[in-house]
Amino acid sequence: MEQSSTSTPLTGAVQGLASELASALRSGGRFRLAAGIPDVHGAEANAGLALAAVRVVGADAVLPSVLRRAPAEADDLALFGRAVHIYPPAADASPVSVWSHWAMKQTLRRLDAPSGGGSDRAAEAGPEAEPQVAWLADVPWQVLTHQLALLAPLAVPEADCAVADVARDRPVDVARGFVRAVRRRDWLQAAGAGRWLVLLDGVPATLGLGAGLEFVAHMGGDDPRVALQVEAARHLQAGARP
Amino acid sequence: MTSTRLIHTVGTGALEWLHAHRDGFRLEQDVDPEVGFLERFKPVGELAVICKVLFREGVAGSRQAQLARQLLDHAWGHVLDGGRVLVRGQRIEPLSPVPFEVYLPFKELGFSNPEIERAFRRVQRLESFAALEMPSVRRLGLSAVQRRYGLPPRPPESEVVAGTWLGRTPEPWTVEGHIAYDITHTVFHLTDWGENPDGLPAPLADYLAVWLPVWLDDWLDLQRWDLLGELLVVDACLPRPTLDERAWEGFAAAQQPDGAMPAVRTMPQGDPDEVFDVVYHPTLVAAFASVLATSRALTQLAHAPA
Repeated sequence: MEQSSTSTPLTGAVQGLASELASALRSGGRFRLAAGIPDVHGAEANAGLALAAVRVVGADAVLPSVLRRAPAEADDLALFGRAVHIYPPAADASPVSVWSHWAMKQTLRRLDAPSGGGSDRAAEAGPEAEPQVAWLADVPWQVLTHQLALLAPLAVPEADCAVADVARDRPVDVARGFVRAVRRRDWLQAAGAGRWLVLLDGVPATLGLGAGLEFVAHMGGDDPRVALQVEAARHLQAGARP
Repeated sequence: MTSTRLIHTVGTGALEWLHAHRDGFRLEQDVDPEVGFLERFKPVGELAVICKVLFREGVAGSRQAQLARQLLDHAWGHVLDGGRVLVRGQRIEPLSPVPFEVYLPFKELGFSNPEIERAFRRVQRLESFAALEMPSVRRLGLSAVQRRYGLPPRPPESEVVAGTWLGRTPEPWTVEGHIAYDITHTVFHLTDWGENPDGLPAPLADYLAVWLPVWLDDWLDLQRWDLLGELLVVDACLPRPTLDERAWEGFAAAQQPDGAMPAVRTMPQGDPDEVFDVVYHPTLVAAFASVLATSRALTQLAHAPA
């Protein structure tokens, strides 16, 4: 059950972007989305690939700015915004895809309004109202954790949405899912679940979350997507260092 | 909620198979006494433990009770020759706890051999017996045996449990097969094979209530039926058993039409004695889990609002 390392061009672009992000979070160094993607201004196919990679990585593509509460560069935001706009969820898209897109729009709006206002959920209702969350409400803990891990970009400070509400209501179930994912060597799911867990109250102390995240990083950190989630979790654990 | 009928049926099937294959509980008379005479004692002791659980819980039908009684009579009278084989085994390995452990459930069921009891009282007083090197979970089992013989456990179980894996409530994501068996046996010893669920200290019961569902999910998907069965016993030993529906349905589906429970995935093929040696344990465990879980399901029924 190791993550496969098949390298389609898109997989490679996603890995590359995740690697840049993880390393920026780890080092505290500057991150430029527009610079982080090779040949973004090059051939049209490469630009398309870069945008697709941003869509796959989702709101995490600008995670350093979000975690540092720092304004993003204009061309980074422009690239991020283009990915948001050219990849709207299809009519029959999965709830995860719809939510992941919603998270990108939400993040774009926050980073576009550096005044710090507009974080009030009520003020953001209207056309950008949250997608429905009913699909997640009563699922078994195994499914819950799997879906939450796919939506790990929603696990950010002041996470305030219906998906986060579901996670907050079920800390023991998410913790069980973390154990399940580690047991099955699904390091990406484990890292995503671990990232949620650092934000939740009521996680059983016997889980050993800190050691668990270290273990996941050690065993699965060769995959940059895993490394990115672990780094995100460490930042959240440290209280979103400036 | 899991059907009590499904849980109960797993046990009736398992007991039918054990009864039909009772000749598999055999000792190797010609084995080199230095090698492994006592090795084949263990299945007989496990059989007696499970039959005792069956009588104790009172959820067996008359057919089951009859089969269990015949199995015990066969094991005691035929395999152990009224306990004389245990005496012989003890003379081969004077310090081995195995003959005493095998004898205990028979004694508790009313069978008797004063000679083996006298031997145990002598041996367990030795400093060497208390000093035997072994994992904590094994030592916990011996302390429980001493207590059940009416002797002071050396050392007391409350001291030993802290040294077991479960007693330290470690990171649940590190559990693998060997650790899982250490967990199940710690629970068996602390609860006297499910007789006394209160024997499980509250912090351990809380720990298991949180993490056992993950392990059930895992070993169900791995089709490790022997271990899954033991984990289902642990569930039935908890203050609030889940009687996990998915686990019980998978466990029941793995059972063969004749009642045998494969140890892992599917039934082995080959020499009947060899097949018996592989599947007798998971089949005993199936009977054990079924009896305990049926009993707990009936208790829940009795306490449910009308």
